[in-house]
Amino acid sequence: MMDAIVVDHISKRFRIPHEKRTTLFHNVVGVVKRQFNYEEFWALNDVSFTVEKGETFGIIGRNGSGKSTLLKVLAKVLYPDGGWVSMNGRVASFLELGVGFQPELTAEENVYIYSSVLGMSRKDVKKVYEGIFDFAELKRFENMKLKNFSSGMYLRLAFSTAIHANPDTFLIDEVFAVGDEAFQKKCTEKINEFREQGKTIVFVSHALDAVKSLCRRTLLLNEGRIVSIGDTEKVISDYLDMLQTS
Amino acid sequence: MWQYRGLIKNLTIAELKNRYQNTSVGFFWSILGPFLLAIVLYVVFKNLFKQEENFAVNLIVGIMAWRFFANGTMSSLSSIVSKPSLVTKVYIPREILTLSTVLSNLICSTLEFVVLLPIIFMLIGKMPATVILFPVLHLLYFWLVLGGGLFLAALFVYFRDLSQIWEVLLNILIFCSPIIYPLSTVPAHLKTYYMLNPLTRLVIMYRDVMVAGKLPSLSDFGIVIGFGALVFLVGSFTFGKLQRRFAEAI
Repeated sequence: MMDAIVVDHISKRFRIPHEKRTTLFHNVVGVVKRQFNYEEFWALNDVSFTVEKGETFGIIGRNGSGKSTLLKVLAKVLYPDGGWVSMNGRVASFLELGVGFQPELTAEENVYIYSSVLGMSRKDVKKVYEGIFDFAELKRFENMKLKNFSSGMYLRLAFSTAIHANPDTFLIDEVFAVGDEAFQKKCTEKINEFREQGKTIVFVSHALDAVKSLCRRTLLLNEGRIVSIGDTEKVISDYLDMLQTS
Repeated sequence: MWQYRGLIKNLTIAELKNRYQNTSVGFFWSILGPFLLAIVLYVVFKNLFKQEENFAVNLIVGIMAWRFFANGTMSSLSSIVSKPSLVTKVYIPREILTLSTVLSNLICSTLEFVVLLPIIFMLIGKMPATVILFPVLHLLYFWLVLGGGLFLAALFVYFRDLSQIWEVLLNILIFCSPIIYPLSTVPAHLKTYYMLNPLTRLVIMYRDVMVAGKLPSLSDFGIVIGFGALVFLVGSFTFGKLQRRFAEAI
């Protein structure tokens, strides 16, 4: 089986300055007074794992354990300070829905922008265009400016565009855990559909039930390190143990 | 970059739409504004520079050329910072954000010059054939603005007072270029230093091909190409180095 994702000894360090310095003036003052105070903090420390093609892989852990940082490194948004990542196939990251949406433009224009952000060509978008609006049930509002959309409509449009992007690998942060129950159900159905199509999915969540039902293998992070990795049932029980002992 | 051409196109168009959205005469503001400015400057300076040939038309060509530099660099400055979600929530080569901003400025500026052509014809009564060299000049200029834009956009993520600094520098630079006054007023002993400014040479070239009907001198051309290459290299190198931590610093 081919690996969709190979993560090799990834580390990521954040600097937490004691005072925030974002102007040239403050930087000059800092150099003169020699006050370059910051704390270093390893958000990820020597993390290695592989995800097979067609696998649904879960990442769990407490708040601040490095889950989202890991996903951002996989998405290439953050640059690792050590190690390397290799991804096969076209990757679409869903750290947030509706990235690049512009309120002053119409729904139609925004669908084209968002799709191209997710790596689709105009020709591909044309093919699924009707499908996007049918799924979102927003056909009537095609030419309305996005600023006049309700938050629910906005979300439906974003979600519908996202799932039509058709990448090989999905990186999903808890974005799909939004909206009402009916919407959530639709999301879960959609993720199941992608699994059946043999898409690779990396899924970060606090919802242990969702992880249990979707993922065969799971990774547990704590303070930037891998605590346990493997069979989902086992990793979740490790996680519950960890929560109890601390 | 080629695989992202669709995205570049969409972002450029979105930028243009956003700029002229909700304005009643849309694009014509960008020709009306500089034109009114040129009229004011002409009225103020016409006695001072009355021996100058084609002062009015040179003035407007200079202002239009300057606008591309000023607007292009000023809007690229915030091209990264103004779209945080495209930096922190998804991966696209970040150069695209600056590139699409400069491209939308290029389109505006080109249209402004196109509208200017009949005005030039009216004012000087002929249309120089050398005007066909305009696209070459404008692309060369675009290259320079893009290089500067990449440099400024990357630095602005880390140093937010750069916008104020750049505004002041632009104000100084417009007076160090022959835009609102003719080149002939520059004292001879300062001319060597004055000609080091590549914008001076660019403005001269625009006036050569659009008004005087002369071919631009090869030395001007060579120097501007060399300077453009240097700015572009420094700009893209700086951008490439700094973009790794954009998502943390934004």
